[in-house]
Amino acid sequence: MGLFKKLWAVIARETSIIRRRPIYLLGSVAVMAFCSIFFLSFFQQGLPHDLPIGIVDNDQSWVSREFARNLDATQLGKTVKYDTFQEAREDMMKGKLTSICVIPENMYSDILSNRQPEFTYYLNGLYFVGGALAYKDILTLVNLANGAVKREVLRARGYNDNAIMGMIQPLNIDVHQIGNAYTNYGYYLTNVMLPGMLEMIVIIILIYSLGAEMKYRTSRHLMNITDNSITIALTGKLIVFTALFTVLGVIMEFLLYHWMHFPITGSVWNMIINVFLLILASEGIAIFIIGCLPVTRLALSVGALYSVMGFSLSGFTLPIEAMPSYIQGLAAAFPLRHYYLFYVQEVIFGSGFAGWWPQVLAMLAFVFLPLPILGRLKNAYIRLNFPKE
Amino acid sequence: MKEKNYIKTWFRDFWGIATYELKLIFSDWGVLLIFFVAGLLYPLLYNLIYRNGILNDTPIAVVDDSGSTLSRRYAREVDATRECAVLCSCANMEEAKQLMQQRKVNGIIYFPSDYEERIALHETASISVYCDMSSFLYYKNALMAVNHVMLEEMNRIQADTFRAGGYTEQQIAELTEFIPYEENNPYNRAFSYNIFLVGVILLLIIQQTMFYGMSLLAGTMREQNRSFASLPDKIKGHGMGRIVLGRGAAYGLLYMGISIYIMTIVPAIFGMPQRGNFFDLLMLAFIFVTDCVFFSMTWSSFITRRESVFILFLFMSPICLFLTGTSWPTSAFPKFWEWFSYLFPTTFGCKAYINMNTAGGNLSAAGECIIGMTLQTIIYFILANFAVYVENHLLKQKNQDNVPAVEQ
Repeated sequence: MGLFKKLWAVIARETSIIRRRPIYLLGSVAVMAFCSIFFLSFFQQGLPHDLPIGIVDNDQSWVSREFARNLDATQLGKTVKYDTFQEAREDMMKGKLTSICVIPENMYSDILSNRQPEFTYYLNGLYFVGGALAYKDILTLVNLANGAVKREVLRARGYNDNAIMGMIQPLNIDVHQIGNAYTNYGYYLTNVMLPGMLEMIVIIILIYSLGAEMKYRTSRHLMNITDNSITIALTGKLIVFTALFTVLGVIMEFLLYHWMHFPITGSVWNMIINVFLLILASEGIAIFIIGCLPVTRLALSVGALYSVMGFSLSGFTLPIEAMPSYIQGLAAAFPLRHYYLFYVQEVIFGSGFAGWWPQVLAMLAFVFLPLPILGRLKNAYIRLNFPKE
Repeated sequence: MKEKNYIKTWFRDFWGIATYELKLIFSDWGVLLIFFVAGLLYPLLYNLIYRNGILNDTPIAVVDDSGSTLSRRYAREVDATRECAVLCSCANMEEAKQLMQQRKVNGIIYFPSDYEERIALHETASISVYCDMSSFLYYKNALMAVNHVMLEEMNRIQADTFRAGGYTEQQIAELTEFIPYEENNPYNRAFSYNIFLVGVILLLIIQQTMFYGMSLLAGTMREQNRSFASLPDKIKGHGMGRIVLGRGAAYGLLYMGISIYIMTIVPAIFGMPQRGNFFDLLMLAFIFVTDCVFFSMTWSSFITRRESVFILFLFMSPICLFLTGTSWPTSAFPKFWEWFSYLFPTTFGCKAYINMNTAGGNLSAAGECIIGMTLQTIIYFILANFAVYVENHLLKQKNQDNVPAVEQ
């Protein structure tokens, strides 16, 4: 048989396996569909609003009530009134409140008589996004309240409104969020979580596919087709799976940057190069794992442990530079890390090839990972001398 | 007499099933890898990754077109914050943009040329901040540093104005700050990443490893044409209660050990806050593990082959993390996903754990979560029993069909 005939036979064999065993399509297409629906609908709000903020109003004056009303009227906050600090504290401990504002007794009369009443707030840092946003909200409002009082006092002292503006707000900051102008958590997380899911799928499905040949003792049949050439066998298998994963990857990129209109400075086509490289690199990892450990279940367990780590070590939530130095180096061993760096250059800065070429090289390096274990995998395929269970 | 016998058989069967399951667990390398290597090492690894927890000194560039004393003071103060460090001052925005694109800096502060002039004229001067949104922590750091310095600077500028107007220091203090405020962040002082995330990940590890391990075993037994529901040959009794409870006891026993390690020893190793009472935590561990056992038992009965659990359910681990509601607030969940989250023990367990262990509450602080987990336990227990019943029923049918052919 000629080379292409053999290759074709492997491809035909593989497609019929995928057709016969629903698990391949369930584990790739269905999982990817579920994850896409999850991430695109879960962060629907973009930026959470109506975060519960507890108010303990010990003053009960119009000033304190107005403060509570204003806080309630912000997009971020929703106030919950408490009679005592104790009750509010218990609810915060239960995780029901993102923060508590305590308005001191006699605040209004203290303000009138310049006694500087102290306003206190408590933040719940255990519920991260909620706590941090409530913090921002409260800080803004306290400063606004301060400004309002200041304006009244300065007016009473005879300053005109123009002069007052410069006095109560001499500085103003305008913030430009590059790459995500709306501070949208959905954009931020989905951009990396979904490709991370794809990486996980590629690794797990490919390990399973290669391992199943040994588990169900069909690998000899495969090697017979290819005249004991592991290269042709792997190439044939990879052509089929790469096609499947690439279709998923391309749909994912179009879903994000075209249909869902995620902000992108560069081009969606470059992101397709990125996702294709991610798939190739993950395939390299998968073959490497099953080649080192030709026992399906062990290889799958290792692959699972590895791919779950990828999310943390890509550094898109807690940046890599905040991790201990011995962990920082480890991050380079995860294709998702390089995908993320590529994405930063293309999607956020739009810097093109000049920005992301190092990541291309890094991901291509993973492709060579299977080379040292090809012989081992071949032996395992022919001799089937590893424990089946 | 008969009743006594029944109880005796029940316990004998229960004991037999529990020990048999333990034997299965300890003779399966894949399961041991998941239970002990993942269960024991993963908590350590995640603690190491998130050990520092906070991002300090995010590098930023300053573009100072004003070149004034005030703008230089501002930049100096931003440099002095914990959050940011001024890496360099650039001649123009182009240069700074390039540095940001090369990821040498993660933020840019721009002072316009009329910065000092406007302040001198008692007008509002504006500062532009450009943040790299590739990680929200960069954004948060840049924003916090710039805002805190701004408040400080505003007070100073105002004080200078009033001082020039001939006010006394006491009057100035009163005029610049009418309502001074005090900030408290009792549970997580610096909004540290590890304190909020690791607690959640720890309990997630318990649930997920147990589920994967149990599913591996259920799948293996099915592959070998046995079933998780069928009784070992030597046991004569029958009844689904003892199968479910017997198998559950085996996992519960192992996981009580692993959970105590994960929930109390691991935080101690890494110096994480441990404000909860030990016996309260023990109680929580018991409730959570029981819940996880029946949860895993129910869902693992859908697994027909050994490996399929990873292919079909591995992706749930990161999703469960979001469903706990500790990062993305529960109040912002779409309704459907809120209901969906009630399927998982971690939805209640993680909240209960951080409320007790990190916020220092007692069992009542986790009261609602505990009620949730108890309800889950009851429902999953019934479902697990039902699964055994259905499985047995199917097996019997299959056996009847097979008997003539096998001739046994």
